[in-house]
Amino acid sequence: MQIAIQLILTSLQIGAVYILFSLGLTIIFGVMRIVNFAHGHLFAVSALVVATVVSWLAARGFPVLPAYLLAVVAGVAVSMALGYVMYVFGFKYFQRDMVGSFILSIGLVLLLDGILLEIFGGAVRPVPEILPGNAEILGASVTIQRLFLCAMAILITAILYWALTKTKLGKALRAVSLDHEAAMLQGVPYNRMALAGFMIAAALAALAGALIAPISIVTPVIGADYLIKGFIAVIVGGLGSIPGAILGALFVAAIETFGGFYLDPTSATIAIFVLVIVVLLVRPKGLLGHG
Amino acid sequence: MTKANTVKRLALGVALGLMGSVAIASAQETIKLGLSAPLSGGGAIWGKGSVFMCNRAASEINEAGGVKVGDTSYNFECVAYDNKYNAAEGTKVAQTLLNREGVKFIGGSLGTAPVKAMQSLTERQGVLLFTTAWGSSIKGPKYPLTFTQMNTPFEILPNLIPYVSEAHPEAKTLAMLNPNDASGQETEEVANKVWQDTGIEILTSDFYERGTTEFQPIATRLAALDPDIIDLGGSPPADAGAVFRELDALGWDGVKVVEVGTGADALKATGGDAVEGVYMGAAVSFAGDDISDHQREVNEEAKADIGESLNAIHIGFYDSVYALKAAMEKAQSVDPKEVAEVMPDVTFRTFYGSEIGFYGVDSYGSKQQMQLPVIVTQIQDGELVELDRVVPSGK
Repeated sequence: MQIAIQLILTSLQIGAVYILFSLGLTIIFGVMRIVNFAHGHLFAVSALVVATVVSWLAARGFPVLPAYLLAVVAGVAVSMALGYVMYVFGFKYFQRDMVGSFILSIGLVLLLDGILLEIFGGAVRPVPEILPGNAEILGASVTIQRLFLCAMAILITAILYWALTKTKLGKALRAVSLDHEAAMLQGVPYNRMALAGFMIAAALAALAGALIAPISIVTPVIGADYLIKGFIAVIVGGLGSIPGAILGALFVAAIETFGGFYLDPTSATIAIFVLVIVVLLVRPKGLLGHG
Repeated sequence: MTKANTVKRLALGVALGLMGSVAIASAQETIKLGLSAPLSGGGAIWGKGSVFMCNRAASEINEAGGVKVGDTSYNFECVAYDNKYNAAEGTKVAQTLLNREGVKFIGGSLGTAPVKAMQSLTERQGVLLFTTAWGSSIKGPKYPLTFTQMNTPFEILPNLIPYVSEAHPEAKTLAMLNPNDASGQETEEVANKVWQDTGIEILTSDFYERGTTEFQPIATRLAALDPDIIDLGGSPPADAGAVFRELDALGWDGVKVVEVGTGADALKATGGDAVEGVYMGAAVSFAGDDISDHQREVNEEAKADIGESLNAIHIGFYDSVYALKAAMEKAQSVDPKEVAEVMPDVTFRTFYGSEIGFYGVDSYGSKQQMQLPVIVTQIQDGELVELDRVVPSGK
């Protein structure tokens, strides 16, 4: 029983990051009908800036928690600035152009890989422990830091869900996602909505990167693994679907955890790809896809 | 002076000038040393450090007058390409180095898969190849132009594992984890045998995909088996640190080993306090009084350049340059085949500080492995400490 609880908690902890990551991907696809392979770099930039700033401030005598909070602000700001540049000078011209945006985002991946390696180097960036200690939940052990990440992921997801369903901006984004031409006929400014969607996605990636930095391996390639899992989650859940992205992320995390435990890590990875194939065969639009 | 005489004198002057410049050029020629290493992605830290060390050795040799072959002094120049740690890119790099750059000596190559791609060309085209790649399958009399520039699991594990086993006689069970690629599989094969020969029961031997960032599920599986020892084999230090951190959170506290762990910096960066006590077989400690000024100076320069201390992989790219110099001067030739013929019998001063040669007849059937010291290290109080240093014997 304790093992089962441990595995469920592990799934939820991993799933929390995948949810934040895949929500961004699915919003971009929903609003702009493009796939952004450089999304992982927004995540990586935030994590790298957080790691750099925390270490810099901590070395100058700042207490770790305030240093981390300042670093999160810096990481999210830099990452969103990068997202803005990516949109204004790139994706703005390739909206609803799958091939063009694909080539652009692959080019951005190569460019950003080189820039990040040049600026931050290839070495792993240490981040001091922000919230030390473990907690016992029904006999299973979880670090406080992971619990904090889970809580933040739930909070961010809840705020996003509320914003998308209750606010004017959210309703406009959903309208554009369902039928952008009909939305424009109703007076919804599509270009502004596309920018808003892209920046919300960038913010989600940046927050995920900032939250994961203290408990992961912070290097310029940190986004690659999450990008693959994030894409699998949105494909399984249904491209463009918010509940689908959440469901897909939890599915991927559960298979990774339970498969990794009862089989082995390699079999778990294979199982995730088998899941995608099965879902695409049975429901080509994903579990909750409708577009 | 007649016009004809003036023309003759001018022609003579030009001819003498040209001959002089040819003579100067031939006295100071350049030999390109090709490098195939990951310069992007997760392995970039290894590749960048390796390029740094090749350049460092080359500049030391060049400043000291170069490689003397006959009346000619040759300078070394390191030419590096990014193999991205995979076979496809490794093939492209091999083609570029050999066919476009015209390289006749590979000063170093990193990653078993790209090295195998490289070797398929070097042996055929008569190019001498230095590699850090593991596995007995790339060495032996079938590959007379291939030499290994760092210790591999075949050299490290028979020294490291008995040391750990003797230090922890109460430890009877083991769980192993390795990256799921050629390097990881070859490490696992050797480790499995040596641990069993030592009398340790292996509870599980798992593989994971290189590039993984979430190690919680893996740690949960390993901790549930409750082994006395967890051996992360050929896992990169950053991955190993992340696994130990998750194991620590789950309450596992046993003997920790990263057999071919190359460095403490990345291990500590991801593992924090959870990496205390980890044993490693390919890391180099630059603390203590035994370190020379030269070693300390180069390490400080490397840290400033790449952000990490030097490790056995990086040092291999330094040693190979000195080995090539020694072999070229002994052969009095810069023909790769002639240089390779004398290589097994040359000695040179390794970065580790001693005069070494090549061995490997017992393991591989020919002398293609640098006879480097095997250094057993451990993280103690957050610092990398050298516990034992064995210079392997044998032919």
